[in-house]
Amino acid sequence: MSNSLLLSINELKTYFFTSEGIVKAVDEVCLGINKGEVLGLVGESGCGKSTLALSIIRLIRPPGKIVGGEIWFEGEDLLSKSEGEMRKIRGGEISMIFQNPMSSMNPLHTVGSQIAEAIELHQDAQKHELKAMVVDMLHAVGIPDPLRRMEDYPHEYSGGMCQRAMTAMALSCNPKLLIADEPTTNLDVTIQAQILELMKRLRRELGTSVLLIGHNLGVISELCDKVAVMYGGKLVEYSDLTTIFEEAKHPYTQALLESIPRLDIETERLRIIPGTVPRLINPPPGCRFYPRCEYAKSICSKEEPPLTEIGQGHSAACFLYTSKRRTKSPT
Amino acid sequence: MTKRLREESEEETEEVYEPSRATRLFIIWRKLKTSKLAVAGFGIVLLSSAAALLAPIIAPYGIEWMGYSGLPPSTAHWFGTDSLGRDMLSLVLYGARISLYVGLAAVFLEIVIGLAIGMTAGYFGGAVDEALMRLTDLILSLPTLPLLVVTVTLFQAYSIHTIVLVMGVFGWPFMARVARSEFLALRETTFVEAARSMGASSGRIIMRHILPNILSTVVVIATMDIPWYIFWEATLTYLGFSDPSSPSWGVLLERGYYALGINWQGWWMVAFPGLALFFTALGFNLFGDGLRDALDVTTRGR
Repeated sequence: MSNSLLLSINELKTYFFTSEGIVKAVDEVCLGINKGEVLGLVGESGCGKSTLALSIIRLIRPPGKIVGGEIWFEGEDLLSKSEGEMRKIRGGEISMIFQNPMSSMNPLHTVGSQIAEAIELHQDAQKHELKAMVVDMLHAVGIPDPLRRMEDYPHEYSGGMCQRAMTAMALSCNPKLLIADEPTTNLDVTIQAQILELMKRLRRELGTSVLLIGHNLGVISELCDKVAVMYGGKLVEYSDLTTIFEEAKHPYTQALLESIPRLDIETERLRIIPGTVPRLINPPPGCRFYPRCEYAKSICSKEEPPLTEIGQGHSAACFLYTSKRRTKSPT
Repeated sequence: MTKRLREESEEETEEVYEPSRATRLFIIWRKLKTSKLAVAGFGIVLLSSAAALLAPIIAPYGIEWMGYSGLPPSTAHWFGTDSLGRDMLSLVLYGARISLYVGLAAVFLEIVIGLAIGMTAGYFGGAVDEALMRLTDLILSLPTLPLLVVTVTLFQAYSIHTIVLVMGVFGWPFMARVARSEFLALRETTFVEAARSMGASSGRIIMRHILPNILSTVVVIATMDIPWYIFWEATLTYLGFSDPSSPSWGVLLERGYYALGINWQGWWMVAFPGLALFFTALGFNLFGDGLRDALDVTTRGR
């Protein structure tokens, strides 16, 4: 498997140095994405998903800082790249789609010129070629009448069309990895379905690897091959899609799954995970889920459970499964 | 997939409608037209610019010409003559040259210095921001008139250029503050982050993504500050800190005032330069206000 590994994150630590203390937004996370694979990254708001995404393309702004770990992309260490080299990678090799499509575009430039700008940044193209490429991209993401609509300003697009255009922009340079940070969160359900359909199609046709971030397990289950669950800046469980949905091991993953409505299982009430995500400022020792965990043992408040392989390609960080056998497995 | 699509669309791309610079200007003009006040302002600005540019041609007498002094308005001298016997209409027309030059040149300096300082402070933040903003506060805290008087005096040469330079050098703090605050807000927006995630450099983000977004604010401040500079120049010349041989509106007002003081005759020596000053200031203000609305792309004025 390792020869087809596209991105590998090793013990990444991204901390925010605020006046109140150090926020460990991403703490020793290990993850890998293979070529052509779609990895879903799930977790509640504020658990460090977006920080992890921004760390990959090194767009963490002060007071945040990547303080440790490695990010390998196609055999190269992204953390040792210069800013100029990173700029070539951003948009060219790894591109990103953001949560709020309507505000992801500069209101003063036409949609077409913004996509053209993205292409121009990474490819040498003549002016007329550029226009044709923009039309192609808009066509590919299903914008009707792209020749005309490329001259429109972002406010003349609907939310769904903006997200399509953003997707077009992100894919315009054929990136090897697409990071989609909750691409459907601010869209209504029918548009969500359209965007998901679009992403499925593009994935099938272009074979781009995707890191799909979301808290909506329904969306994740539509698209992903593998799922990683984050909690409080830590990776708590990692496995392929079916395993996560059928035999989730970590109590947090289980709780998360029980909290989504399902048609195939009859339940009276949806499960609620009591409490909130812990503040990540100087977190106490031990498992970060421990205060909300129904299986909490005494060891959980003292020691941090390591991420342990508990099955074929399935690992979880919980003392229920470690039995003191410490084998760290970076995916 | 994209290859195939490209071939299909190859022929069609020829006739793509692309708004050229001219059409963009036309769109701005069409939106400006919707406000009567803005059009009036634009008209006044045009009129005073025309007066300034064409003064040597349209002025009935040169500024060197002298006749009877203190003549009231008549058909020979529409605006009367001043205490030296020069034609007031010609003086007011030539005065537009100097006053507009002062306003535009000082505003140009203000924009250049203010934007540079505001952008640097707002984009880079931190210690740079702190240092530049304290400098801004320092200049803002100094009283304007004594500051201008002292610095103009220090130069020892009471020329119009000295005044422009001094006003420009001390006029930027407000522009810098506004630019900074807009930069602070805009650099956090998603579209700036998105541009960065597409691999855009800091320079490109500043020039293409942030600067155009603060342009309308800059234009408004600039047009509102032009009359402000004209007034300050008038004030300084009125106080005697200028070259008395160049007939700016301020110089004319000063002379008129002295004439008035002697025998309470000659209201025209004060009224006409005063009205010219007043209407030019009003024109720039109205035009600036209208321009702000017209520069907003979210209304296309279709």
